Amino acid sequence: MKLEGKFALVTGGRGGIGRAIVARFLREGAVVYAADLSPQGSLADHDEDGSRFVQMNVADEAAVQDAMAQVRSACGKLDILVNAAGIEIEKTIEETSLEEWNQSFAVNCTGTFLTSKHALPLMRQAAKSGTSASIINFGSYDGFIADPGLAAYCATKGAVHALTRAMACDHGPEGIRVNAICPGYIDTPMLQSFFAGEGSGGGGGNIETLQQAVRDVHPMRTYGTPDDIANLVNWLASDEARYASGQLWVLDGGLSAQVQQMRL
Amino acid sequence: MATQEAAIVTGGSRGIGRAIVERLMADGTNVVTCGRGPRPDDLPESVVWVQADVSLTGDAARLIKAANHAFGRVNLLVNNAGVQVEKTVADSDDDDWNLVMNVNCKGVFNMCRAALLDMAAHGGNIINIGSISGRVADPSMALYNASKAFVHGLTRSIAVDHGPKVRCNAIRPGWIMTEMAGDAFALATDPEKAMTDALARHPAGRLGKPADIANMVAWLASDQSAYVTGECFTVDGGMTAASPLNPGLF
Repeated sequence: MKLEGKFALVTGGRGGIGRAIVARFLREGAVVYAADLSPQGSLADHDEDGSRFVQMNVADEAAVQDAMAQVRSACGKLDILVNAAGIEIEKTIEETSLEEWNQSFAVNCTGTFLTSKHALPLMRQAAKSGTSASIINFGSYDGFIADPGLAAYCATKGAVHALTRAMACDHGPEGIRVNAICPGYIDTPMLQSFFAGEGSGGGGGNIETLQQAVRDVHPMRTYGTPDDIANLVNWLASDEARYASGQLWVLDGGLSAQVQQMRL
Repeated sequence: MATQEAAIVTGGSRGIGRAIVERLMADGTNVVTCGRGPRPDDLPESVVWVQADVSLTGDAARLIKAANHAFGRVNLLVNNAGVQVEKTVADSDDDDWNLVMNVNCKGVFNMCRAALLDMAAHGGNIINIGSISGRVADPSMALYNASKAFVHGLTRSIAVDHGPKVRCNAIRPGWIMTEMAGDAFALATDPEKAMTDALARHPAGRLGKPADIANMVAWLASDQSAYVTGECFTVDGGMTAASPLNPGLF
């Protein structure tokens, strides 16, 4: 078990990708806090998994401070922070209201900022204990290349990429590593909602055909699973990754390695 | 001693190279260009043609000499000549490797090295034609993709090693409508559908024209870009800024 004796907190910990990360951390022997808006997160229900649930809106500073106070009193340090909470608004900038724009930034950027900021004192404690503390942010391949009709989302993820490098620079000397994972298409409620939505062309169409077409565009001929993401998060969280910091780890089945595929 | 200055554009017989030759001429530059074949009939008379293979060290020196003889010193070199072999690594043989690497890599190196004999001391400007395929992979174009990544890397090295006398930049064209691209569309199962699909992948709403690349060359050749060096500029109508997964196309 790679994470024995470590304390971890995962925001969006009851969502599609967050759950897989929480489950993996538990299997690797960590004590895991799953932070989310509700115990079931973005899925329909939730079975007891051994994680400690903290109700927390990542954009609410008081709630974030409360959550960190809980971790402090119970554990005294935090070795691993995963900022996996995120939302996606499927609109162009013209269709996006100021409220939707602010909401996107509040969760995807401000949430990463606030949670990391208030976790730092606990993470310094972890770093002092001799092993590196690890923050793992969630960027996206959309922070590099744009999907149509996802303007605010693309912008927030680009911001997370830059924030990741900045945090790695500032807090590396304290023994805190900061990386971002940039997933491509991962089978989550967010992706299924995108398939069913207007912007995807899937509204009213055959969702199976659409899903197959999406798989076929990937060099690996499939889109990813939350477990694929958890595999890399687990490595970045572990001491095996002790020299890995400030990097953007694209995990997309090769999608963004290729030129657009013309139908010739 | 001649008082004029010269530009060398390799591979100027057709396509992107020809557009660069014509644009530089229109901007008042003396141009020398080359190709492995005889002088094209429709090449403007004032352009000096040298039959040369840039992958041969001797030919590169001969090209510089011809430019010196005709117009004086060479202050602009545009490395445009290139070949492509449409194969995967598994399918490529030694001849494919030699062809692609000799022209696309050694050719650019040869020309830069020959031009730098003078440029390193007296100043100059080098513009290399790379490709978006040197950044993201075109399927079944393994050696071509790799050769273009070489061009991008060499561009940065020349800028770093030979600044401030020499500026060196690269352009990464996307899909430019040349005879080669036209043939590919003509051979598609449904040419019209293929074109509609291709257009939808370009935020600019059209494929590139050789003149689009020549415009960028003209800017990089001008004093407007005096502070620009060591960069690779993508000119692709926005294609590589967009996800290859444009679900509206399915």
